[in-house]
Amino acid sequence: MATCAVEGGCPSDYVAISISILSMILLLAKAIKPYLVHNIPRPQGRSFWLIALQLFASFNLILSTVMALGLLRTNMMHWWNNCYLWSVWIEGPLGFGLLLGCRILQAFQLYNLFVKRRLPPIRSFLFLTLILFPWLASATFIHVEKPLDNRCHMGSLWIIPIMCLHALYVVAMVGFTGAIRHIEFRFQELKDLWRGILFSTFCVGLWVVCYILNMAYEDIELIQIISRFLLLVMTSLLALSFFSISISQPLVTLTSLREREHPPSAMMGRALGLLPDSGLLVEWDSIQLVNPIEPLDKLLLNKRFRQSFMEFADSCLAGESVHFFEEVQQLDKIPSADHVRRIYMARHIIDNYITPGATMEVNISHRCRQEILSTLDLAHPNLFKNSLNELIHLMKTNLANDYWSSTFYMKLKEEARMRVVERELEHSGWNFSHRMSSIHCADDPFHHEHSPGKFGSSSCHLELMQ
Amino acid sequence: MVFMLCKIIDKMGLLCSRQKHSRADFEDNEQTAEIDRRIEQESKAEKHIQKLLLLGAGDSGKSTIFKQIKLLFQSGFDEVELKNYIPVIHANVYQTIKILHDGSKELSQSLADSSMFIISDENKQIGEKLSEIGGSLNYPCLTKELAQEIETLWRDNAIQETYSHGNELQVPDCTHYFMENLQRLSDADYVPTKEDVLNARVRTTGVVEIQFSPVGENKKSGEVYRLFDVGGQKNERRKWIHLFEGVSAVIFCAAISEYDQTLFEDDNKNRMMETKELFEWVLKQPCFEKTSFMLFLNKFDLFEKKVPSVPLNVCEWFKDYQPVSTGKQETENAYEFVKKKFEEVYFQNTAPDRVDRVFKIYRTSALDQKLVKKTFKLVDETLRRRNLFEAGLL
Repeated sequence: MATCAVEGGCPSDYVAISISILSMILLLAKAIKPYLVHNIPRPQGRSFWLIALQLFASFNLILSTVMALGLLRTNMMHWWNNCYLWSVWIEGPLGFGLLLGCRILQAFQLYNLFVKRRLPPIRSFLFLTLILFPWLASATFIHVEKPLDNRCHMGSLWIIPIMCLHALYVVAMVGFTGAIRHIEFRFQELKDLWRGILFSTFCVGLWVVCYILNMAYEDIELIQIISRFLLLVMTSLLALSFFSISISQPLVTLTSLREREHPPSAMMGRALGLLPDSGLLVEWDSIQLVNPIEPLDKLLLNKRFRQSFMEFADSCLAGESVHFFEEVQQLDKIPSADHVRRIYMARHIIDNYITPGATMEVNISHRCRQEILSTLDLAHPNLFKNSLNELIHLMKTNLANDYWSSTFYMKLKEEARMRVVERELEHSGWNFSHRMSSIHCADDPFHHEHSPGKFGSSSCHLELMQ
Repeated sequence: MVFMLCKIIDKMGLLCSRQKHSRADFEDNEQTAEIDRRIEQESKAEKHIQKLLLLGAGDSGKSTIFKQIKLLFQSGFDEVELKNYIPVIHANVYQTIKILHDGSKELSQSLADSSMFIISDENKQIGEKLSEIGGSLNYPCLTKELAQEIETLWRDNAIQETYSHGNELQVPDCTHYFMENLQRLSDADYVPTKEDVLNARVRTTGVVEIQFSPVGENKKSGEVYRLFDVGGQKNERRKWIHLFEGVSAVIFCAAISEYDQTLFEDDNKNRMMETKELFEWVLKQPCFEKTSFMLFLNKFDLFEKKVPSVPLNVCEWFKDYQPVSTGKQETENAYEFVKKKFEEVYFQNTAPDRVDRVFKIYRTSALDQKLVKKTFKLVDETLRRRNLFEAGLL
């Protein structure tokens, strides 16, 4: 007993290590599961790196705790058993700092999007580097000053500023989260975030107590053993709870799992409770009125025409403009008072159509693109007006003439003719009753849950399409 | 429906129904055989068709070449098609005048010596009105009065001054041509001429194709080409990859007059640099290992006009260019320099195992019908020779 407190390898240490290994496995499983089980395409760019970085940071944090506290009975003389490597560099900048940095970054992004209503003014990578800077600086400082003793413990003089640094980052995260609390989030991110924060502050509090106890009372063996046991367990729980807080990845968890059968472009609108189109009556009346003389932007409001035009544009690899038109149309349906949903939709459109290199990037001028990307209000009703304007002109001059002579238009005309014949056959006794009921279900799209059940939405859709 | 199902099952070798008439069966077989024969014929014909791609950055003249092909080797444009261009041409006019007007405003604010960009008081109101029209979704008909107003504004010194700074704005090349023809464009019974159509600027999106045979009249050539035109802006290039299979020749257009201009889709990028990078990228494509490359150094007419006033070395790529003489000789020198630069890029990006692919450079200006015709005859000849060569080897 006397030795294991100093050299490590007490039974309680092994229990703690197994708990931490278990939590690490859980963490990995949690991160990979959605992609393996549900076959979601791997997230790309920013979101992927944030997740990967968090996993990396959690792993570092746990491992460094194990190594620095001497839970394992190892030869202290090995070069890799260096105190400064583990308890300063890997625990600090690469562990705790990185983990909290990622979280603060996410909260910062949400703060910018929904409170400031603009795209984050600083690139995420740069922000992360900035936020890690104090950690790197203090780690270098400690490395130079060498305050650690041979058991990797530091005197109480050092513990206080270091704990302050840890606490500062927790406070920063709570602060940013506090700033966005009044927004009613669509995907319950905030609730998750608060839950996570409550739990992790509790963990951090306990962790700090343990850390101080561990560092200060070197002579009392029982305290040593208990405190390092608690330290490791708390670290594992902290990492686990941090990862469970879903934030800014609502699409993965909510929409793609349930609505995979829809094309990705339609997904955002659906997730926000918008049905692609509910103007059934208009459609019936206007289908025969498709007239090449009318301006294209008016014609495109007609759902059947838009579909036909979209098919045509897709067939000559120019579909993104029409898709963009449709999505902006959906955005316009969101009442201007509903900032949060507008911002979600706007951001979705920006990510998919506007940012350079986006999967459906549209052919707009530099000026228009900059105007959108540097906007001061993401919920502004005319955010996409100029680019839409440019694209309508593009479609008019480039696609429209070819469309009128394409088979897609022939088909549409034929269909319209058939409708007229059908209607004449049924005389004036057109009975709307059963259709009315079907319209009713789509009439009030906003009362739908944001993720309408598979059957609910598709059956509704079927009737609409009939 | 049931009958069709039977047919399918029948084909699969299953006995579907016994009471089927043998005659109908026979007719069916006849029909399917006919269809099979047709498909075979068509795929045989397909093999003879050579696939040409028009590639290049945005506004490098791909679509103008495409229109020329239509004029030269196809039926050309009938009156309906010509009239379809009226809204395009009018849109060009409205958009251009808006760009110039807004540009003059911007320049007068940003530059130190701003007085020359300030539109005279009597034209200010016209300018505001035209700018508003240019920003609207549906343009009004170009009436005589409107044309008159546009012309007045165009003649304004500030606008002219702005136009000479056109390389900083995205002023289309057709500006001068259309502005000088405003009266004709605003005629009530205006029908665009061939030249108008060639000058009209339309940003292409997606892919357009055309099939033609260069020697239309005497049918001696027999070579049939299918030419694909694509959009050139950055976002359009992701679609190119769908066309890369089985290409006989890539016609790469590079607008050599654009060495002092920036991209439509990215104001911070020089067009020439972009063209260079794009050319490198295309050359490296594994699909084009055996593909011939026809480099069209396009817009020579504009290049000729620009070289005396704007030195070639404003572009980073041509930094080491030193003007040696003046006048026509200087233009030739500059052109040869640019040509050499492109040649360098070609050979740097062509792996040793690909050296047998054909590479030719042509000096073109897409608006010049005779020149394009001549160039295409040359291209056709090169490709035919290449085919014979390959056939001889095999």
